Amino acid sequence: MEGLIVWLIITLVKILVILGIVLGVGAYLTLVERKVAAHIQRRPGPMVVGWHGLLQPLADGIKLLTKEDLFPRYGNRFLYNLALVMALVPATLVFAVVPFGPEFKVFGVEVKPILTDVNVGLLLVFALGSMAVFAIALAGWASNSKYALIGSMRKAGIVVSYEVVITFAVMGPIILAGTLSTYEIVQKQIEQELWYIWLQPLAFVVYMFALLAETGRVPFDVQEAEAELVTGFTVEYGGMKFGLFPLVEWYIEVLSLSAIAVVLFLGGWSPINIPFLGFVDPLFFLGPLSPFVWFILKVSLLFLFVLWLHWTLPRYRIDQITETAWKVMLPLTFVNLVLTAVIAPVLWG
Amino acid sequence: MVKKVFEKPLSWIERIFFLDFVRGLSITIRQAFRRTITTHYPYEKLTPPKRFRGFFGHKVVDGNEPQPAFEEWVERFKIQVEPGKSRCVVCMLCKRACPVPQLFEIEGEKLPDGRRRVSLFNMNMMLCTFCGFCVDACPVDCLFQSDIHETAGYTRKDSVLDLQTLERIGRDWQRRREEEPDRIWIDDYQRQRLWYENNPHLPEVKR
Repeated sequence: MEGLIVWLIITLVKILVILGIVLGVGAYLTLVERKVAAHIQRRPGPMVVGWHGLLQPLADGIKLLTKEDLFPRYGNRFLYNLALVMALVPATLVFAVVPFGPEFKVFGVEVKPILTDVNVGLLLVFALGSMAVFAIALAGWASNSKYALIGSMRKAGIVVSYEVVITFAVMGPIILAGTLSTYEIVQKQIEQELWYIWLQPLAFVVYMFALLAETGRVPFDVQEAEAELVTGFTVEYGGMKFGLFPLVEWYIEVLSLSAIAVVLFLGGWSPINIPFLGFVDPLFFLGPLSPFVWFILKVSLLFLFVLWLHWTLPRYRIDQITETAWKVMLPLTFVNLVLTAVIAPVLWG
Repeated sequence: MVKKVFEKPLSWIERIFFLDFVRGLSITIRQAFRRTITTHYPYEKLTPPKRFRGFFGHKVVDGNEPQPAFEEWVERFKIQVEPGKSRCVVCMLCKRACPVPQLFEIEGEKLPDGRRRVSLFNMNMMLCTFCGFCVDACPVDCLFQSDIHETAGYTRKDSVLDLQTLERIGRDWQRRREEEPDRIWIDDYQRQRLWYENNPHLPEVKR
Protein backbone atom coordinates (compact mmCIF):
# COMPACT_ATOMS: atom_id res chain seq x y z
CA MET A 1 0.00 0.00 0.00
CA GLU A 2 2.73 2.40 0.95
CA GLY A 3 4.66 1.57 -2.19
CA LEU A 4 1.60 2.39 -4.28
CA ILE A 5 1.18 5.78 -2.64
CA VAL A 6 4.83 6.64 -3.13
CA TRP A 7 4.59 5.58 -6.74
CA LEU A 8 1.46 7.68 -7.24
CA ILE A 9 3.08 10.75 -5.72
CA ILE A 10 6.19 10.32 -7.82
CA THR A 11 4.14 9.91 -10.99
CA LEU A 12 2.04 12.97 -10.19
CA VAL A 13 5.13 15.07 -9.57
CA LYS A 14 6.64 13.81 -12.82
CA ILE A 15 3.47 14.67 -14.76
CA LEU A 16 3.34 18.16 -13.28
CA VAL A 17 7.03 18.81 -13.92
CA ILE A 18 6.91 17.54 -17.49
CA LEU A 19 3.69 19.41 -18.34
CA GLY A 20 5.01 22.58 -16.77
CA ILE A 21 8.31 22.35 -18.57
CA VAL A 22 6.78 21.45 -21.92
CA LEU A 23 4.05 24.09 -21.98
CA GLY A 24 6.19 26.80 -20.42
CA VAL A 25 9.13 26.12 -22.68
CA GLY A 26 6.73 25.84 -25.62
CA ALA A 27 5.48 29.34 -24.94
CA TYR A 28 8.97 30.73 -24.61
CA LEU A 29 10.15 29.01 -27.78
CA THR A 30 7.91 31.46 -29.65
CA LEU A 31 10.21 34.19 -28.40
CA VAL A 32 13.30 32.16 -29.33
CA GLU A 33 11.94 31.59 -32.80
CA ARG A 34 11.13 35.26 -33.29
CA LYS A 35 14.55 36.31 -32.06
CA VAL A 36 16.40 33.82 -34.27
CA ALA A 37 14.31 34.72 -37.30
CA ALA A 38 14.81 38.41 -36.66
CA HIS A 39 18.57 38.19 -36.26
CA ILE A 40 18.92 36.09 -39.41
CA GLN A 41 17.12 38.94 -41.18
CA ARG A 42 19.20 41.53 -39.29
CA ARG A 43 16.31 42.75 -37.18
CA PRO A 44 16.37 42.82 -33.37
CA GLY A 45 12.96 41.12 -32.95
CA PRO A 46 10.69 41.91 -29.99
CA MET A 47 12.43 44.52 -27.83
CA VAL A 48 9.73 46.48 -26.03
CA VAL A 49 8.05 44.17 -23.49
CA GLY A 50 10.62 43.42 -20.83
CA TRP A 51 14.37 43.25 -21.27
CA HIS A 52 14.94 42.38 -24.97
CA GLY A 53 11.30 41.30 -25.17
CA LEU A 54 11.54 38.66 -22.46
CA LEU A 55 7.91 39.15 -21.39
CA GLN A 56 6.61 39.08 -24.95
CA PRO A 57 5.13 35.53 -24.70
CA LEU A 58 3.07 36.63 -21.68
CA ALA A 59 1.84 39.70 -23.53
CA ASP A 60 0.96 37.56 -26.54
CA GLY A 61 -0.86 35.08 -24.31
CA ILE A 62 -2.94 37.79 -22.66
CA LYS A 63 -3.72 39.33 -26.02
CA LEU A 64 -4.80 35.99 -27.50
CA LEU A 65 -6.90 35.08 -24.45
CA THR A 66 -8.86 38.33 -24.53
CA LYS A 67 -9.74 38.01 -28.21
CA GLU A 68 -13.20 37.23 -29.52
CA ASP A 69 -13.95 33.56 -30.14
CA LEU A 70 -14.93 33.53 -33.80
CA PHE A 71 -16.57 30.61 -35.49
CA PRO A 72 -17.02 30.23 -39.26
CA ARG A 73 -20.57 30.01 -40.60
CA TYR A 74 -21.66 26.45 -41.55
CA GLY A 75 -18.62 25.01 -39.78
CA ASN A 76 -18.87 21.93 -37.60
CA ARG A 77 -18.45 23.17 -34.05
CA PHE A 78 -17.81 19.76 -32.50
CA LEU A 79 -15.05 18.80 -34.92
CA TYR A 80 -13.70 22.34 -34.82
CA ASN A 81 -13.06 22.07 -31.09
CA LEU A 82 -12.12 18.40 -31.22
CA ALA A 83 -9.28 19.21 -33.63
CA LEU A 84 -7.67 21.38 -30.95
CA VAL A 85 -7.72 18.57 -28.41
CA MET A 86 -6.48 16.09 -30.99
CA ALA A 87 -3.58 18.39 -31.78
CA LEU A 88 -2.52 19.19 -28.25
CA VAL A 89 -2.91 15.87 -26.45
CA PRO A 90 -0.85 13.49 -28.64
CA ALA A 91 1.90 16.06 -29.02
CA THR A 92 2.29 16.47 -25.27
CA LEU A 93 1.80 12.74 -24.59
CA VAL A 94 4.99 11.98 -26.51
CA PHE A 95 6.95 13.44 -23.60
CA ALA A 96 5.72 10.55 -21.46
CA VAL A 97 8.38 8.32 -23.00
CA VAL A 98 11.21 10.84 -23.29
CA PRO A 99 13.98 9.99 -20.79
CA PHE A 100 15.54 13.18 -19.40
CA GLY A 101 18.44 11.60 -17.54
CA PRO A 102 19.73 8.54 -15.70
CA GLU A 103 18.13 7.05 -12.60
CA PHE A 104 18.76 8.93 -9.36
CA LYS A 105 17.80 8.63 -5.69
CA VAL A 106 15.64 11.10 -3.76
CA PHE A 107 14.85 10.35 -0.07
CA GLY A 108 15.87 6.75 -0.60
CA VAL A 109 13.50 6.24 -3.54
CA GLU A 110 14.79 5.27 -6.97
CA VAL A 111 13.39 7.74 -9.53
CA LYS A 112 13.67 7.35 -13.27
CA PRO A 113 13.26 10.78 -14.93
CA ILE A 114 10.87 9.32 -17.50
CA LEU A 115 7.12 9.21 -17.00
CA THR A 116 6.51 5.66 -18.22
CA ASP A 117 9.36 3.40 -19.24
CA VAL A 118 7.15 1.19 -21.41
CA ASN A 119 9.00 -1.37 -23.49
CA VAL A 120 7.30 -0.17 -26.69
CA GLY A 121 8.15 3.50 -26.13
CA LEU A 122 9.16 4.28 -29.69
CA LEU A 123 6.07 2.59 -31.08
CA LEU A 124 4.02 4.88 -28.84
CA VAL A 125 5.91 7.93 -30.13
CA PHE A 126 5.18 7.21 -33.76
CA ALA A 127 1.62 6.12 -33.08
CA LEU A 128 1.02 9.47 -31.37
CA GLY A 129 2.92 11.29 -34.10
CA SER A 130 0.58 9.93 -36.75
CA MET A 131 -2.38 11.17 -34.68
CA ALA A 132 -1.35 14.71 -35.56
CA VAL A 133 -2.67 14.27 -39.07
CA PHE A 134 -6.19 13.74 -37.72
CA ALA A 135 -6.11 17.03 -35.87
CA ILE A 136 -5.06 18.89 -38.96
CA ALA A 137 -7.47 17.13 -41.30
CA LEU A 138 -10.32 17.78 -38.85
CA ALA A 139 -9.33 21.42 -38.42
CA GLY A 140 -9.37 21.94 -42.17
CA TRP A 141 -12.64 20.09 -42.64
CA ALA A 142 -14.53 21.67 -39.75
CA SER A 143 -13.53 25.22 -40.69
CA ASN A 144 -15.60 25.17 -43.87
CA SER A 145 -12.96 27.14 -45.72
CA LYS A 146 -11.19 26.25 -48.92
CA TYR A 147 -7.83 27.57 -47.81
CA ALA A 148 -8.00 25.57 -44.61
CA LEU A 149 -9.09 22.43 -46.46
CA ILE A 150 -6.30 22.72 -49.04
CA GLY A 151 -3.77 23.25 -46.27
CA SER A 152 -4.95 20.29 -44.25
CA MET A 153 -5.07 18.00 -47.29
CA ARG A 154 -1.50 18.95 -48.19
CA LYS A 155 -0.39 18.28 -44.63
CA ALA A 156 -2.19 14.92 -44.63
CA GLY A 157 -0.38 13.96 -47.83
CA ILE A 158 2.98 14.88 -46.35
CA VAL A 159 2.44 13.20 -43.00
CA VAL A 160 1.19 9.98 -44.58
CA SER A 161 4.32 9.72 -46.74
CA TYR A 162 6.81 10.73 -44.07
CA GLU A 163 5.26 8.57 -41.37
CA VAL A 164 6.40 5.54 -43.36
CA VAL A 165 9.85 7.02 -43.92
CA ILE A 166 10.43 7.97 -40.29
CA THR A 167 9.40 4.55 -39.07
CA PHE A 168 11.89 2.83 -41.36
CA ALA A 169 14.58 5.39 -40.48
CA VAL A 170 14.41 4.62 -36.75
CA MET A 171 14.54 0.90 -37.52
CA GLY A 172 18.35 1.11 -37.70
CA PRO A 173 18.93 2.32 -34.10
CA ILE A 174 16.29 -0.14 -32.88
CA ILE A 175 18.19 -3.05 -34.48
CA LEU A 176 21.48 -1.81 -33.01
CA ALA A 177 19.99 -1.44 -29.54
CA GLY A 178 17.73 -4.48 -29.73
CA THR A 179 14.94 -2.76 -27.82
CA LEU A 180 12.02 -0.36 -28.32
CA SER A 181 12.23 1.24 -24.91
CA THR A 182 13.68 4.77 -25.11
CA TYR A 183 15.42 4.44 -21.74
CA GLU A 184 17.03 1.14 -22.76
CA ILE A 185 18.19 2.55 -26.10
CA VAL A 186 20.16 5.27 -24.32
CA GLN A 187 21.54 2.76 -21.84
CA LYS A 188 22.68 0.56 -24.73
CA GLN A 189 24.44 3.48 -26.38
CA ILE A 190 26.27 4.20 -23.14
CA GLU A 191 27.20 0.52 -22.71
CA GLN A 192 28.39 0.18 -26.31
CA GLU A 193 30.19 3.53 -26.03
CA LEU A 194 28.76 4.58 -29.35
CA TRP A 195 26.30 7.22 -30.47
CA TYR A 196 24.22 5.62 -33.16
CA ILE A 197 24.69 8.66 -35.42
CA TRP A 198 28.20 7.36 -36.16
CA LEU A 199 26.77 4.13 -37.58
CA GLN A 200 23.53 5.61 -38.91
CA PRO A 201 24.30 8.98 -40.53
CA LEU A 202 21.91 8.18 -43.37
CA ALA A 203 19.08 7.36 -40.99
CA PHE A 204 19.78 10.56 -39.08
CA VAL A 205 19.53 12.73 -42.20
CA VAL A 206 16.34 11.00 -43.24
CA TYR A 207 14.98 11.39 -39.71
CA MET A 208 15.74 15.13 -39.78
CA PHE A 209 13.91 15.50 -43.09
CA ALA A 210 10.94 13.60 -41.73
CA LEU A 211 11.01 15.77 -38.59
CA LEU A 212 10.80 18.90 -40.71
CA ALA A 213 8.00 17.40 -42.78
CA GLU A 214 5.93 16.17 -39.84
CA THR A 215 6.12 19.44 -37.98
CA GLY A 216 5.48 21.52 -41.07
CA ARG A 217 8.75 23.39 -40.92
CA VAL A 218 10.41 24.96 -43.94
CA PRO A 219 11.29 23.47 -46.51
CA PHE A 220 8.12 21.37 -46.09
CA ASP A 221 5.69 24.03 -44.90
CA VAL A 222 3.30 23.78 -47.84
CA GLN A 223 0.37 23.36 -45.47
CA GLU A 224 1.08 26.79 -44.00
CA ALA A 225 2.41 28.56 -47.08
CA GLU A 226 1.66 32.09 -45.90
CA ALA A 227 1.99 33.45 -49.41
CA GLU A 228 -0.53 31.09 -51.00
CA LEU A 229 -2.75 29.77 -48.23
CA VAL A 230 -2.75 32.54 -45.59
CA THR A 231 -1.44 30.05 -42.96
CA GLY A 232 -3.45 27.04 -44.11
CA PHE A 233 -5.66 25.13 -41.71
CA THR A 234 -5.51 27.67 -38.88
CA VAL A 235 -7.06 30.43 -40.97
CA GLU A 236 -10.55 30.11 -39.45
CA TYR A 237 -9.37 29.85 -35.85
CA GLY A 238 -9.18 32.90 -33.62
CA GLY A 239 -7.69 33.93 -30.31
CA MET A 240 -6.00 31.30 -28.17
CA LYS A 241 -7.34 28.55 -30.42
CA PHE A 242 -5.26 30.04 -33.20
CA GLY A 243 -2.29 30.37 -30.89
CA LEU A 244 -2.48 26.72 -29.90
CA PHE A 245 -1.91 25.23 -33.36
CA PRO A 246 1.49 26.80 -34.09
CA LEU A 247 2.43 26.19 -30.45
CA VAL A 248 1.73 22.48 -30.88
CA GLU A 249 3.00 22.08 -34.41
CA TRP A 250 6.04 24.28 -34.44
CA TYR A 251 7.25 24.05 -30.87
CA ILE A 252 5.97 21.08 -28.89
CA GLU A 253 6.21 18.63 -31.79
CA VAL A 254 9.61 19.86 -32.88
CA LEU A 255 10.76 19.65 -29.29
CA SER A 256 9.45 16.12 -28.80
CA LEU A 257 10.83 14.85 -32.10
CA SER A 258 14.21 16.50 -31.39
CA ALA A 259 14.21 14.79 -28.00
CA ILE A 260 13.51 11.46 -29.69
CA ALA A 261 16.27 12.16 -32.21
CA VAL A 262 18.67 12.88 -29.35
CA VAL A 263 17.63 9.65 -27.66
CA LEU A 264 18.00 7.58 -30.81
CA PHE A 265 21.04 9.04 -32.48
CA LEU A 266 22.88 11.32 -30.07
CA GLY A 267 23.04 9.14 -27.00
CA GLY A 268 20.43 10.79 -24.84
CA TRP A 269 22.05 12.19 -21.70
CA SER A 270 25.55 10.87 -22.41
CA PRO A 271 28.36 13.38 -22.96
CA ILE A 272 30.41 13.77 -26.14
CA ASN A 273 31.25 10.43 -27.67
CA ILE A 274 34.35 9.25 -29.53
CA PRO A 275 33.23 6.15 -31.44
CA PHE A 276 34.23 2.87 -29.73
CA LEU A 277 36.66 4.67 -27.37
CA GLY A 278 34.53 6.29 -24.73
CA PHE A 279 32.93 9.49 -23.53
CA VAL A 280 34.49 12.88 -22.94
CA ASP A 281 32.62 15.07 -20.47
CA PRO A 282 33.67 18.73 -20.45
CA LEU A 283 30.82 19.38 -17.98
CA PHE A 284 32.11 16.96 -15.33
CA PHE A 285 32.15 19.71 -12.68
CA LEU A 286 28.33 19.71 -12.61
CA GLY A 287 28.45 16.28 -10.97
CA PRO A 288 25.13 14.42 -10.97
CA LEU A 289 23.47 17.29 -12.87
CA SER A 290 25.67 16.94 -15.93
CA PRO A 291 23.56 14.25 -17.75
CA PHE A 292 20.47 16.46 -17.53
CA VAL A 293 22.41 19.46 -18.79
CA TRP A 294 23.76 17.39 -21.68
CA PHE A 295 20.28 16.24 -22.65
CA ILE A 296 18.84 19.76 -22.56
CA LEU A 297 21.86 21.10 -24.43
CA LYS A 298 21.52 18.56 -27.22
CA VAL A 299 17.78 19.07 -27.60
CA SER A 300 18.11 22.83 -27.69
CA LEU A 301 20.94 22.70 -30.21
CA LEU A 302 18.86 20.47 -32.44
CA PHE A 303 15.90 22.83 -32.05
CA LEU A 304 18.05 25.82 -32.95
CA PHE A 305 19.31 23.93 -35.99
CA VAL A 306 15.71 23.37 -37.11
CA LEU A 307 15.03 27.11 -36.66
CA TRP A 308 18.16 27.94 -38.62
CA LEU A 309 17.00 25.70 -41.47
CA HIS A 310 13.55 27.22 -41.32
CA TRP A 311 14.75 30.76 -41.84
CA THR A 312 17.20 29.81 -44.58
CA LEU A 313 15.53 27.51 -47.03
CA PRO A 314 12.81 28.13 -49.60
CA ARG A 315 9.71 25.94 -49.84
CA TYR A 316 9.34 22.78 -51.88
CA ARG A 317 6.26 22.02 -53.93
CA ILE A 318 3.91 19.33 -52.63
CA ASP A 319 4.72 16.94 -55.49
CA GLN A 320 8.45 17.38 -54.90
CA ILE A 321 7.99 16.62 -51.21
CA THR A 322 6.04 13.41 -51.67
CA GLU A 323 8.31 12.40 -54.54
CA THR A 324 11.36 12.77 -52.28
CA ALA A 325 9.64 10.74 -49.61
CA TRP A 326 8.66 7.78 -51.76
CA LYS A 327 11.41 7.76 -54.39
CA VAL A 328 14.49 8.84 -52.45
CA MET A 329 14.01 8.65 -48.71
CA LEU A 330 12.18 5.33 -48.53
CA PRO A 331 14.67 3.36 -50.72
CA LEU A 332 17.51 4.92 -48.75
CA THR A 333 16.02 3.75 -45.47
CA PHE A 334 15.59 0.25 -46.94
CA VAL A 335 19.27 0.18 -47.90
CA ASN A 336 20.16 1.46 -44.43
CA LEU A 337 17.97 -1.19 -42.82
CA VAL A 338 19.57 -4.05 -44.75
CA LEU A 339 23.10 -2.79 -44.05
CA THR A 340 22.34 -2.39 -40.36
CA ALA A 341 20.82 -5.84 -40.16
CA VAL A 342 24.02 -7.26 -41.67
CA ILE A 343 26.45 -5.13 -39.64
CA ALA A 344 24.84 -5.31 -36.21
CA PRO A 345 25.40 -9.07 -35.63
CA VAL A 346 28.98 -8.73 -36.89
CA LEU A 347 29.72 -5.96 -34.38
CA TRP A 348 28.02 -7.38 -31.32
CA GLY A 349 27.88 -11.10 -32.08
CA MET B 1 16.85 39.44 -77.73
CA VAL B 2 16.09 37.68 -74.52
CA LYS B 3 19.06 36.20 -72.80
CA LYS B 4 18.20 32.82 -71.38
CA VAL B 5 19.95 31.78 -68.19
CA PHE B 6 19.64 28.23 -66.97
CA GLU B 7 20.44 27.06 -63.50
CA LYS B 8 23.31 24.64 -63.39
CA PRO B 9 22.02 21.27 -62.17
CA LEU B 10 23.46 20.04 -58.91
CA SER B 11 26.28 17.56 -59.08
CA TRP B 12 26.02 14.27 -57.20
CA ILE B 13 28.49 15.42 -54.56
CA GLU B 14 26.37 18.48 -53.93
CA ARG B 15 23.24 16.38 -53.68
CA ILE B 16 24.66 13.81 -51.28
CA PHE B 17 26.24 16.30 -48.87
CA PHE B 18 23.51 18.98 -49.25
CA LEU B 19 26.11 21.52 -50.31
CA ASP B 20 23.43 23.92 -51.53
CA PHE B 21 21.86 23.80 -48.07
CA VAL B 22 25.24 24.35 -46.47
CA ARG B 23 25.90 27.38 -48.63
CA GLY B 24 22.58 28.95 -47.67
CA LEU B 25 23.04 28.12 -44.00
CA SER B 26 26.50 29.67 -43.93
CA ILE B 27 25.10 32.91 -45.32
CA THR B 28 22.29 33.11 -42.78
CA ILE B 29 24.51 32.30 -39.81
CA ARG B 30 26.94 35.03 -40.85
CA GLN B 31 24.07 37.53 -41.06
CA ALA B 32 22.68 36.38 -37.71
CA PHE B 33 25.72 37.55 -35.78
CA ARG B 34 26.03 40.93 -37.45
CA ARG B 35 24.63 44.15 -36.09
CA THR B 36 20.94 44.78 -36.67
CA ILE B 37 20.04 47.61 -38.99
CA THR B 38 16.59 48.47 -37.68
CA THR B 39 15.39 51.91 -36.66
CA HIS B 40 13.29 51.43 -33.52
CA TYR B 41 10.58 53.61 -34.88
CA PRO B 42 8.59 55.20 -32.10
CA TYR B 43 11.77 55.67 -30.05
CA GLU B 44 14.18 56.52 -32.85
CA LYS B 45 13.18 58.48 -35.90
CA LEU B 46 14.96 59.15 -39.13
CA THR B 47 14.99 62.70 -40.43
CA PRO B 48 13.56 62.71 -43.94
CA PRO B 49 15.44 64.59 -46.65
CA LYS B 50 14.61 68.25 -47.09
CA ARG B 51 12.72 67.57 -50.30
CA PHE B 52 10.31 65.25 -48.46
CA ARG B 53 6.65 65.89 -49.26
CA GLY B 54 5.03 65.94 -45.86
CA PHE B 55 2.54 68.25 -44.16
CA PHE B 56 2.22 71.81 -45.44
CA GLY B 57 3.37 75.00 -43.82
CA HIS B 58 3.54 78.74 -44.40
CA LYS B 59 6.96 80.34 -44.29
CA VAL B 60 6.88 83.58 -42.36
CA VAL B 61 8.29 86.97 -43.25
CA ASP B 62 11.89 87.01 -42.08
CA GLY B 63 13.78 88.98 -44.72
CA ASN B 64 14.68 85.98 -46.91
CA GLU B 65 11.74 86.34 -49.28
CA PRO B 66 12.42 85.78 -52.99
CA GLN B 67 13.01 89.21 -54.47
CA PRO B 68 11.83 91.00 -56.54
CA ALA B 69 8.78 88.67 -56.75
CA PHE B 70 7.67 89.28 -53.20
CA GLU B 71 7.92 93.07 -53.51
CA GLU B 72 5.97 92.99 -56.78
CA TRP B 73 3.14 90.93 -55.32
CA VAL B 74 3.02 93.09 -52.21
CA GLU B 75 2.84 96.19 -54.41
CA ARG B 76 0.08 94.77 -56.60
CA PHE B 77 -2.20 93.60 -53.80
CA LYS B 78 -1.16 96.22 -51.20
CA ILE B 79 -0.34 93.50 -48.71
CA GLN B 80 0.33 94.30 -45.07
CA VAL B 81 3.82 92.84 -44.45
CA GLU B 82 4.35 91.93 -40.83
CA PRO B 83 7.54 90.17 -39.68
CA GLY B 84 6.83 86.77 -38.10
CA LYS B 85 3.54 86.39 -39.97
CA SER B 86 2.68 84.43 -43.10
CA ARG B 87 4.13 85.58 -46.40
CA CYS B 88 0.84 84.77 -48.15
CA VAL B 89 -0.30 87.40 -50.65
CA VAL B 90 -3.74 85.81 -51.30
CA CYS B 91 -3.05 85.32 -55.00
CA MET B 92 -5.01 82.03 -55.08
CA LEU B 93 -2.47 80.44 -57.42
CA CYS B 94 -2.20 77.44 -55.12
CA LYS B 95 -5.91 76.84 -55.34
CA ARG B 96 -5.72 77.13 -59.13
CA ALA B 97 -2.89 74.62 -59.37
CA CYS B 98 -4.60 72.14 -57.06
CA PRO B 99 -6.23 69.06 -58.62
CA VAL B 100 -8.79 69.13 -55.77
CA PRO B 101 -9.32 72.88 -55.38
CA GLN B 102 -12.07 72.61 -52.79
CA LEU B 103 -9.53 71.56 -50.18
CA PHE B 104 -8.31 75.18 -50.04
CA GLU B 105 -10.37 77.76 -48.21
CA ILE B 106 -8.58 81.11 -48.61
CA GLU B 107 -9.89 84.55 -47.69
CA GLY B 108 -8.25 87.96 -47.35
CA GLU B 109 -9.41 90.93 -45.30
CA LYS B 110 -9.10 94.70 -45.69
CA LEU B 111 -7.55 96.56 -42.82
CA PRO B 112 -8.80 100.08 -41.84
CA ASP B 113 -5.74 101.69 -43.47
CA GLY B 114 -6.60 100.18 -46.85
CA ARG B 115 -3.96 97.48 -46.87
CA ARG B 116 -4.86 93.80 -47.09
CA ARG B 117 -3.71 90.59 -45.50
CA VAL B 118 -4.67 86.91 -45.41
CA SER B 119 -7.34 86.16 -42.78
CA LEU B 120 -8.30 82.56 -43.49
CA PHE B 121 -6.20 79.78 -44.97
CA ASN B 122 -7.59 76.31 -44.38
CA MET B 123 -6.27 73.19 -46.06
CA ASN B 124 -8.33 70.02 -45.71
CA MET B 125 -5.71 67.28 -45.74
CA MET B 126 -8.37 64.58 -46.08
CA LEU B 127 -8.61 65.54 -49.76
CA CYS B 128 -4.94 66.23 -50.37
CA THR B 129 -2.81 63.90 -52.49
CA PHE B 130 0.49 65.57 -51.52
CA CYS B 131 1.27 66.19 -55.19
CA GLY B 132 3.02 69.48 -54.41
CA PHE B 133 1.53 71.47 -57.31
CA CYS B 134 0.48 74.27 -54.94
CA VAL B 135 4.05 74.54 -53.68
CA ASP B 136 5.34 74.89 -57.24
CA ALA B 137 2.70 77.50 -57.96
CA CYS B 138 3.39 79.71 -54.94
CA PRO B 139 5.12 82.85 -56.31
CA VAL B 140 6.47 84.12 -52.99
CA ASP B 141 7.90 80.86 -51.58
CA CYS B 142 5.27 80.90 -48.84
CA LEU B 143 3.52 77.54 -49.05
CA PHE B 144 5.90 74.61 -48.74
CA GLN B 145 5.98 70.96 -47.71
CA SER B 146 7.77 70.10 -44.48
CA ASP B 147 9.29 66.86 -43.20
CA ILE B 148 6.36 66.14 -40.87
CA HIS B 149 5.03 62.72 -41.84
CA GLU B 150 3.23 61.59 -38.69
CA THR B 151 -0.09 63.01 -39.74
CA ALA B 152 -2.55 60.79 -37.90
CA GLY B 153 -5.23 62.46 -35.79
CA TYR B 154 -8.16 61.51 -33.62
CA THR B 155 -10.86 63.53 -35.38
CA ARG B 156 -11.56 64.73 -38.91
CA LYS B 157 -11.13 68.26 -37.63
CA ASP B 158 -7.47 67.50 -36.85
CA SER B 159 -6.76 67.04 -40.53
CA VAL B 160 -7.68 70.64 -41.41
CA LEU B 161 -4.62 72.87 -41.27
CA ASP B 162 -5.55 76.43 -40.38
CA LEU B 163 -3.41 79.56 -40.71
CA GLN B 164 -1.99 79.37 -37.20
CA THR B 165 -0.90 75.77 -37.63
CA LEU B 166 0.62 76.47 -41.02
CA GLU B 167 2.58 79.42 -39.64
CA ARG B 168 3.74 77.36 -36.67
CA ILE B 169 5.01 74.60 -38.96
CA GLY B 170 6.71 77.23 -41.11
CA ARG B 171 8.43 78.96 -38.21
CA ASP B 172 9.62 75.61 -36.89
CA TRP B 173 10.90 74.63 -40.32
CA GLN B 174 12.75 77.92 -40.85
CA ARG B 175 14.42 77.49 -37.49
CA ARG B 176 15.47 73.85 -38.10
CA ARG B 177 16.17 73.32 -41.75
CA GLU B 178 16.17 76.57 -43.72
CA GLU B 179 19.98 76.55 -43.89
CA GLU B 180 20.26 73.07 -45.43
CA PRO B 181 20.90 72.66 -49.16
CA ASP B 182 17.79 71.58 -51.05
CA ARG B 183 19.39 68.50 -52.56
CA ILE B 184 21.57 66.02 -50.80
CA TRP B 185 24.01 63.85 -52.68
CA ILE B 186 25.49 60.60 -51.59
CA ASP B 187 28.88 62.17 -50.79
CA ASP B 188 27.36 65.04 -48.87
CA TYR B 189 28.11 65.59 -45.22
CA GLN B 190 24.45 66.53 -44.78
CA ARG B 191 23.55 62.97 -45.64
CA GLN B 192 25.82 61.71 -42.92
CA ARG B 193 23.92 63.92 -40.53
CA LEU B 194 20.51 62.74 -41.71
CA TRP B 195 21.15 59.07 -41.19
CA TYR B 196 23.30 59.44 -38.12
CA GLU B 197 21.17 56.93 -36.18
CA ASN B 198 22.62 54.09 -38.22
CA ASN B 199 26.17 55.38 -38.04
CA PRO B 200 26.85 54.37 -41.62
CA HIS B 201 30.30 54.03 -43.07
CA LEU B 202 29.92 56.00 -46.26
CA PRO B 203 32.84 56.20 -48.67
CA GLU B 204 35.19 59.12 -48.07
CA VAL B 205 34.92 61.82 -50.71
CA LYS B 206 38.08 62.71 -52.59
CA ARG B 207 38.22 66.29 -53.79
